[in-house]
Amino acid sequence: MSSELTLSSNKSRKIKDKIARYGVTLGGLLVLAALLLIFFYLLYVVAPIFRSAEIHNQTSFNIPHQAQTLAIGVEEQVEIAYLFDDSSTARFFYVQTDNTKNQTAGQEIASIKLLDDHRVSTFAQSMAARKLYAYGFENGSALVVSPKFTTSFPNNIRHISADINYVTGQTPVEMDTQGHALTQLAVEKNMDSLYLVAATDDNRLLINSLSSEENFMTGEIEWSSDITEIEAIPHPISQIRLSSNLAYMFVLSGNHLFIYNIRDLTDISLIQDMDVNADDASVTTMSLLSGASSIMIGNDNGIISQWFEIRTEAGRQFVKAREFDNQHSVSQIVPEFYRKSFFTLSNDATVGIYFTTSDAELFNDRIQQGSIEHMSVAPRSNALLTQTDDSFHLFKVDNEHPEVTWKALWQKVWYEGYPEPDYVWQSTSADDEFESKFSLVPISFGTIKAAFYAMLFAVPIALAAAIYTAYFMSPGMRQTVKPTIEIMEALPTVILGFLAGLWLAPVIENNLPGVLMFLLLTPVGIVTAAYVWTFTPEKIRLSFRDGWDAVLLIPVVLVCAYISFALSPELEIWFFDGDTRAFLTNELGIGFDQRNSLVVGIAMGFAVIPTIFSIAEDAIFSVPKQLSNGSLALGATPWQTLTRVVLLTASPGIFSAVMMGLGRAVGETMIVLMATGNTPIMDWNIFEGMRTLSANIAVEMPESEVGSSHYRILFLAAFVLFIFTFLFNTVAEFVRQRLREKYSDL
Amino acid sequence: MISIETQLRDVQRVDLANLPEEDTELSINQLNLYYADKQALFDITMRIPKNQVTAFIGPSGCGKSTLLRCINRMNDLVDDCRIDGEVLLKQKNIYAKSVDVAALRRNIGMVFQRPNPFPKSIYENVIYGLRLQGIKDKRVLDEAAEKALRAAALWKEVKDRLNDSAFGLSGGQQQRLVIARAIAIEPQVLLLDEPTSALDPISTLTVEELITSLKEQYTVVIVTHNMQQAARVSDQTAFMYMGELIEYSDTNSLFTTPSKKQTEDYITGRYG
Repeated sequence: MSSELTLSSNKSRKIKDKIARYGVTLGGLLVLAALLLIFFYLLYVVAPIFRSAEIHNQTSFNIPHQAQTLAIGVEEQVEIAYLFDDSSTARFFYVQTDNTKNQTAGQEIASIKLLDDHRVSTFAQSMAARKLYAYGFENGSALVVSPKFTTSFPNNIRHISADINYVTGQTPVEMDTQGHALTQLAVEKNMDSLYLVAATDDNRLLINSLSSEENFMTGEIEWSSDITEIEAIPHPISQIRLSSNLAYMFVLSGNHLFIYNIRDLTDISLIQDMDVNADDASVTTMSLLSGASSIMIGNDNGIISQWFEIRTEAGRQFVKAREFDNQHSVSQIVPEFYRKSFFTLSNDATVGIYFTTSDAELFNDRIQQGSIEHMSVAPRSNALLTQTDDSFHLFKVDNEHPEVTWKALWQKVWYEGYPEPDYVWQSTSADDEFESKFSLVPISFGTIKAAFYAMLFAVPIALAAAIYTAYFMSPGMRQTVKPTIEIMEALPTVILGFLAGLWLAPVIENNLPGVLMFLLLTPVGIVTAAYVWTFTPEKIRLSFRDGWDAVLLIPVVLVCAYISFALSPELEIWFFDGDTRAFLTNELGIGFDQRNSLVVGIAMGFAVIPTIFSIAEDAIFSVPKQLSNGSLALGATPWQTLTRVVLLTASPGIFSAVMMGLGRAVGETMIVLMATGNTPIMDWNIFEGMRTLSANIAVEMPESEVGSSHYRILFLAAFVLFIFTFLFNTVAEFVRQRLREKYSDL
Repeated sequence: MISIETQLRDVQRVDLANLPEEDTELSINQLNLYYADKQALFDITMRIPKNQVTAFIGPSGCGKSTLLRCINRMNDLVDDCRIDGEVLLKQKNIYAKSVDVAALRRNIGMVFQRPNPFPKSIYENVIYGLRLQGIKDKRVLDEAAEKALRAAALWKEVKDRLNDSAFGLSGGQQQRLVIARAIAIEPQVLLLDEPTSALDPISTLTVEELITSLKEQYTVVIVTHNMQQAARVSDQTAFMYMGELIEYSDTNSLFTTPSKKQTEDYITGRYG
């Protein structure tokens, strides 16, 4: 054969070889790329929650001065702002220039004179979300107003018109029948009534409870007031606040805070009074956080402290939960409308943004020259309006996810109303003032707990089965057993979960002593059966071919199961006073859920057994025969050979089998979703459930708003899960390589 | 090619047919072996003398390894294997019911074709058999390990790295380690199943020298497909063909004056 002929006949083989090589390389690279893509997509979705807040100046404009400004505010769309001044005038003006709508920033829309002939002596503002403003007058009367915006869409263009709503009518409410000037005022409203609290210049504190009633004849709303005077009041009063549910009144006098219970106006009591200033500092301002369960106290050294009510041994009490350090003397604290964030203002125009529960300082910087007299946060917390004399500045605020910090996700957080810091996952609730609690600790714990109990059940069974099948079983039986167990892996986990949740869980609940007895009795039964077997006559023994005697264990296990379950009611009566659940809860103090870790351990163990079994069996079976023969030839018994040579040599494979099983258990979703009860608790108790990362994602993802913090945290949970499995697999691979170098260099 | 005659040594002649009992280590009497329905050994009867090297030669598939494995009952591990006849070790039938196979194998060590060290250190490999017997005394183990390694002519090479993995040794060293492991438990008989077939010529030579020195203490039975090797190391040689023992005599006679035609054809290279 000539050499040219050889070359040409090789050409097509070469091409095929090349195509195959590139094809395989491409496939491998695509897998890697897909993995990286998932990784980076998760990061991309998660990243925004860790960004800190940003403030950018958007527009600046002037409004000619007419009287001293008392408060400013911005409407929801950040188109119109308003101010109340001490000439009892409400003024509305545009804050943004929009040429299509013929609007320029600073252009006045309306100026409404609320009242003539009354001299303003004090001014109050309700919780931000209620948008109530109250004037207090020198003649002892007060007026409650609220800006009103109506949105219409003529020609498909949004048009917002502004007006004033006289909440209790245009005539001022008489607060002090003696006609003394009001020096301090507070206003708050709930579903039924509106409370006005005023301090007078002769040191009296008056609570006016106004309730409305619709006149059936005229359809007009009539307000009736009921004034209560509080005795023995602090002096001088620097600030008064009312909680949003009208249950508490907070009166600040210097550094001392007085808290009154005003739930029942006929029985007003001082429930707590204490110094609230920070060390070596004095209190400058007080404010209530959105939801109004927390009091924020600002100090002249820049410390802002948060106080809320918790259940203590001495009953419910307000305690200091945490502090923030602003470094600048705090002159104003402006809470956000709906979130637990607040803004601080210092005299040198330094603005701080904080989120209370996550302990986060999101922003702290000077935002403009000079100083700021008034500051207002837009309802959606996306803008900030400041005023100094005539000039106004509108800032855009970028602060989408203040509630999430690394610390809040992984450390204990002291939530409002909780007796102590804790790990809590509770993303939604029916309550409006509810604050989402995003701690990844309970659900990560749940994942580990579920995997732990599943492995506890699966590893001994799977490994024992693998050892027996690979090492002792007759080849014929192995050919049936191995594929049968492996096909279990194809069983959809939703079916396993369904069976576990709806069938197994009640069975275990009703036969708990039986189940526990079965777990103990079966190994004992098997060992006893094996022992008895050695005494059976040789004739019977030899009638089973080598390795087939294991079949005899099937009736043994069945008998054990029958005995256990038949005795279950008797056991319950003898040992557990007839009711195991009650016994566990009352006598042992162990909680019992129907869908618990035991159920999950068994169900997920079933899902994991085929994985572990299959890989471990292969590893043991592929130990070279020359090694086991070598050991046997040295006078080792089969058991010695197994434990000293075979398992040692197969250890890399066995280890990776267990790790693959663990990886599967950690990522498993359907079984834990259906059989755990999904309660995000942190407890190793085998009779209680858990919520795992994967189940949590499955449960909550459909109901989370795209782009919200909740949504992004669910992605973060997915990312954590990804890291979990990635970590397990990497460690597994690393250890396996080391073991392989050491033990299977043949 | 070096002729076989030049490889032969002067050996003490033994009358194999009338071997006195005290000189007999193993007697194989009318041994038949079947794999399922196929008979692999036919009516083998032979006596293997004490403290001598006996070689089994023959073409591939002649049953020489099978016969060797009968001596320490390794064939028990093969499914569907059935044995008639008896094998006597010091006049005791090793196929008797009362015999504990593990105890038997402690007395009849075996070395296989490919070196098979365990995934353990050199030291642990050597004392493996002693550990199996539950010996824990560090001094006893150390002494036994040194003695076995010296006997296997490996001591000098590994004494400084006893705790290294046995996989770090060369093929020849591994095979000597395996021999050391087998003699560490001081068996009476050492079975070698083509111990040098996976080794290079120099390692082969070392192992052969080792085999010659071992016979002072042990009875050695070696299976080999290499006739020169049989001529070099053995005192007796058995030629097997198709499961039958064709000729069994002292090595010199077998190679110089074979009494059977089949033997002559084989040793002159007509087949095999």
